[in-house]
Amino acid sequence: MKINYHEENGVVIIEPKGKIMGGPESTALHDLLHDLIDQKKSRVIIDLGRVDWMNSTGLGLLISGLTTLRKAEGELKLANVTEKIQSLLTITKLITVFKTFDSVEDAVKSF
Amino acid sequence: MKKPTYLADGIIIASSTAYLADVDRYLDQKMTEAGVDESARADIAISLSELVNNAIIHGNKKDKSKTVEVRFALKNSRLKITVEDQGTGFNPGELANPIDDDNLLKEVGRGLFIVKNFVDEVNYKRSNSGGTIVEIIKNL
Repeated sequence: MKINYHEENGVVIIEPKGKIMGGPESTALHDLLHDLIDQKKSRVIIDLGRVDWMNSTGLGLLISGLTTLRKAEGELKLANVTEKIQSLLTITKLITVFKTFDSVEDAVKSF
Repeated sequence: MKKPTYLADGIIIASSTAYLADVDRYLDQKMTEAGVDESARADIAISLSELVNNAIIHGNKKDKSKTVEVRFALKNSRLKITVEDQGTGFNPGELANPIDDDNLLKEVGRGLFIVKNFVDEVNYKRSNSGGTIVEIIKNL
């Protein structure tokens, strides 16, 4: 399952789509994130604007990416967080862990 | 691996996360038929995906010979969904609190916590064969 991504000013922007619920789409996102990390990409944004919703498996993937990047002195940020995902981040207190931005542009500038 | 079996009021899948999308599509269809409004749909869908994931991974230990059975019932604006696995049961009281500072960065362990926040009731039962039945109720 292919997930689109591109690079802008040295920042990788990943653009998952649909629902991230623990099936093959989650494996694809996990593998892409970690492949990029293996390629020494240290600044990553996940654009969630086209994600309908995610469950705890999706949140786990984000945490995995974040912690791995931070160990390598990198960072993972979230852009275009939908209302439902914002609600999930708030309920789980992960809103205190991730930096979120209203747009990819703002997220890129923050690096 | 056996394909999903569709019942009048439910779906039975083999214990593989490859079938999560089938369950989600079936739920989506059921919610459309029942006229469930948009604000509740994502909450219910997320909750069901958590329970089915748990049944596959923790209940049935991803044993593809074991099944996860999902049943739906809607009566008087009360949607009840049950998810039954063929495992050996668990104690929900033993689950760690995912919003404790020590657990915040753990990659797993927040599924049932999310469900409790998104539905009105969560009940646990043992099946006759010793597996777990999780029942969620959402007042529409």
